[in-house]
Amino acid sequence: MKLASRLISLTLAAAGLSAPALADWSKSYVIEWYEPAHYYGADTGITYPGTDCPAGTNPEIDWEEVLVRSGYTEEEAKWLLHPEHPYRVPNHGQNQMAFRGEGRANVFMEPWTYPDPGLVGVSGEISEGFDLDGNPKTGFVSPDGVPGIDNEFYRTTGCWKYYRGPERRSYVAESWNDRMREGSWTVAIVVSGEGEDPMNDDNVTVAFYDSPEALVKDGNGDIARDYTFTVKPNAKFEALFDARTENGRIISTKAMDEVWIRDPSYTKELQLLKAQLDLSMNEDGTLTGLVGGYRPWEPVHDQLVDARGTVIESLTWIELPSLWYALKRNADYSPEGTDGEKTHISYAMRVSAVPAYVMLEDASEQVQLATSFRNAPTAEPWAPIEIAVKFSSVSVEQGIVRGEHGFIFAGPDAPIIPPDLTRDELAAQTMEKMAAGGGQ
Amino acid sequence: MLRRLIIPGLAGFAAIGGLLSYTAFAEGGKSSSAIVVASNELATVLAPEELEQVGERESFISAYRRLTESQYRHAIADIFGDDIKVEARFEPERREEGLQAVGNAQLSVTTSGLEQYYSLARSISRQVVSAERETDYLPCDVTSSKDAARKCADEFVQEIGGKLYRRPLTKAERTLTLTIWDASAEGKDDYTQAFEHALTSLLISPEFLFRTEVAERVDDSDAFQLDAYSKASRLAFYLWDSPPDAELLEAAARGDLNTLDGLSVQVERLLDSPRFDLGVRAFFTDMLHFESFETLTKDTMTYPKFSQAVADSAREETLRFLIQHLVDDEGDYRDIFTTKKTVLNRTLAAVYNVPYPSREEWTTYEFDEDTERSGILTQVSFAALFSHPGSSSPTLRGKHLQEIFQCTKIPDPPADVDFSKVQAIEEGTVRERLDAHRTDPTCASCHILMDPAGLALENFDSLGQFRTLENGDPIDVSADIFGQEYSGATGVGEYMKSNPQVVSCVVQKAYAYGKGRKNDYREGQFLNSKTEEFADAGYQLKDLFRSLLTDPKFYEVEVPEGLSARTDSASLTTKAPASGGN
Repeated sequence: MKLASRLISLTLAAAGLSAPALADWSKSYVIEWYEPAHYYGADTGITYPGTDCPAGTNPEIDWEEVLVRSGYTEEEAKWLLHPEHPYRVPNHGQNQMAFRGEGRANVFMEPWTYPDPGLVGVSGEISEGFDLDGNPKTGFVSPDGVPGIDNEFYRTTGCWKYYRGPERRSYVAESWNDRMREGSWTVAIVVSGEGEDPMNDDNVTVAFYDSPEALVKDGNGDIARDYTFTVKPNAKFEALFDARTENGRIISTKAMDEVWIRDPSYTKELQLLKAQLDLSMNEDGTLTGLVGGYRPWEPVHDQLVDARGTVIESLTWIELPSLWYALKRNADYSPEGTDGEKTHISYAMRVSAVPAYVMLEDASEQVQLATSFRNAPTAEPWAPIEIAVKFSSVSVEQGIVRGEHGFIFAGPDAPIIPPDLTRDELAAQTMEKMAAGGGQ
Repeated sequence: MLRRLIIPGLAGFAAIGGLLSYTAFAEGGKSSSAIVVASNELATVLAPEELEQVGERESFISAYRRLTESQYRHAIADIFGDDIKVEARFEPERREEGLQAVGNAQLSVTTSGLEQYYSLARSISRQVVSAERETDYLPCDVTSSKDAARKCADEFVQEIGGKLYRRPLTKAERTLTLTIWDASAEGKDDYTQAFEHALTSLLISPEFLFRTEVAERVDDSDAFQLDAYSKASRLAFYLWDSPPDAELLEAAARGDLNTLDGLSVQVERLLDSPRFDLGVRAFFTDMLHFESFETLTKDTMTYPKFSQAVADSAREETLRFLIQHLVDDEGDYRDIFTTKKTVLNRTLAAVYNVPYPSREEWTTYEFDEDTERSGILTQVSFAALFSHPGSSSPTLRGKHLQEIFQCTKIPDPPADVDFSKVQAIEEGTVRERLDAHRTDPTCASCHILMDPAGLALENFDSLGQFRTLENGDPIDVSADIFGQEYSGATGVGEYMKSNPQVVSCVVQKAYAYGKGRKNDYREGQFLNSKTEEFADAGYQLKDLFRSLLTDPKFYEVEVPEGLSARTDSASLTTKAPASGGN
């Protein structure tokens, strides 16, 4: 009977039909917090030295020194950084800062035109994560002593102030989880199995789904339990993992070739290759643990460029080319094999989820079998990673913000010092040039 | 000689002093007593020596019933449209004999309340005469000649005033309001402000803020009944929680409401309207003490799921449930204590810990048959309102089961009760903590009425969430209620369903709610007969309301005790229905 119902369910699911498929047991959750699994080796604070970063976090940038190093005169550098520089875009900084590559190339678009400024990485030996390459001799040691933990993303970014901090306290985790908890996106999880005992089952599937319903906060500001979420079928954002349970711990039984999960970041897109998970169904009803795999490294850099490179550099205290070089340097996986270009970097994230009801798209029934809805007729179609970060008030191109007139007022040949034209005069002149076909 | 205080349709800034005087009077008075008389000119407050002669008159004002917040809002929406913003904090209402409808007939307006009403009246007036809306309500061009505008103002005052006062304005009321218009229009070319001030004066008039119930003599007898316009208001506010519509006012003007047939036609029309839901909401909002939601709090460390959204949803759940069960499904009133059905939203589904099976904002829901859920008794509203912020309270629940649904008044506890034992909620179960109540004879006399049923509801915590343990100890939900053994919420539900007192109580409340006063012991037989009719009709709420509202007794007015009904009525003639007009 059980087998028959499962076969029917699987058949329907394969056909993309939203039938109330059944498993022998299922549990469902909604992610209330997730963040890069960056092991924190200090006692307190963000910048203090610790076993992870013996010298503390990367130092503050002297932007005048950066500009001089990039070929600007000291006078130009001072003037470009001056708050009253007329070509600055109010609230969005100095676009000319992007043009510090060789021949004043845009370093956000062509970071290789700029010498690696250096991003000090993690030198500690401990990291959370998975042995993704199956080689216990490479990588970190887990906090409980398991060798071979591959987490080069941590090695790259772990001493960057943007990422470093105790659990749930890093800038990147707080800012992005706040957005999720305020309703920007929702990830629901269904765990189902085929055995009699959910805590010890050799055939378990874990599914991560998009949901259109916003998270709800309880009276203490935490994400409330037991709310209902529907699955929003999506050809891309769906992650299924084969696993087993041991005393309530859900462990991957194989690395999944490719999964996509919403990322707590500007793009909200995370591709993981050779993905694994290690989650625990806790007595208090929550689900906590790690999900990891190899993620493409270039989008990590590119989304920050697109989120207004000069502003991001100022807010996150690094030169973005240093991130580009470091990610490229530490990338450790190529989907094309060992000889291919290393396009991906090992990564893990901590996941915390609270009990929730997860329903079919039409809310008619609970999802009782962790299965794919990718082929449902209503599924959102596949789309490539959308790097473009949309701002309501400005448009960004090549990491540069257009001003109120729609002009950038920056570039290899832009006037630097002294500005012999006011902002309005420059705008008028630019418009004249454009009208004459000269571009800006 | 005689001290008279004029109560005009007060207006604008100039009238505030007068209204304050009125307020000062009414606070000290008993407005439900016959201390105010109506005439074709002005309502006047009588000096004590005049009171004894009330019964000799053809008519007198038998009650001033302050509009509730919802009635005020519905009135403004009905007359000016629901896009008019009514932004104010209304004065608290008063509960007497288990109903605010009774308490409100004792209420006046405080000085600060008057300021709120005045501020609100000005805000509403501004919105009504604003450029975006003036063409909807003003029957003329406000910049036309003064004569034309004055004529227009007269029409405006008659039409809008009639809607606000729920009867045609008297000549004196019209004149007074137009006097305000005249004063404001003086020297102006644009009369917008004059209209605004005139409207403000109508909106702060006691004739709008209070339902003035006028009693008139029945034929040539000593009996009095509500006049036709007062009947219209009583009907409309009862069944729609709103002022009478044009058709009802026309029926009043024609005298239809003074005949059984005419009254029945209107009652039936109101019952069949979708707006009947508003009346049902208002009745149960009052009966179930839902004003307590305004101050409902829970310790979020103990009940993290509690939030204002939960409180708002819980209130809405019960009202929607009652409308669904009693009106839409025409269900048996007694089943509200036992049914597994309710109406949920996503927020409440989380509190009840069930999946929310809909993409709509609200949906009907049926709990599994084997759950302990039992109608209104286990809804979040009842469980949460009658609990403490940090723990459930069998005593509060039991007390309100008695008072709300069985009309049994439980006295307040003595002032010297030591609550320390029952408040030690960190250990054991509340049954153990309440043990003293059962063993101390002084406590037991009242607690025997409350605690057994309350303890049987202990599977539901202070937020209405199901539980089987308290502080790790199993909860015992057995109950001995007047010698009968019951278990759990479903047991209490069955007890309530089979209890004839529950049926007679809702009849008593429905009657007192409409009359705005405590039921008189002399009405016992009448209420018993209405209870029998209710039972014969299958405990249908609509039938109960219909039965009450079409009965002439519902509109009878007693001449206050101690006052003579009449002295010399030889010259009195039978009155036509009061027109209220000039």
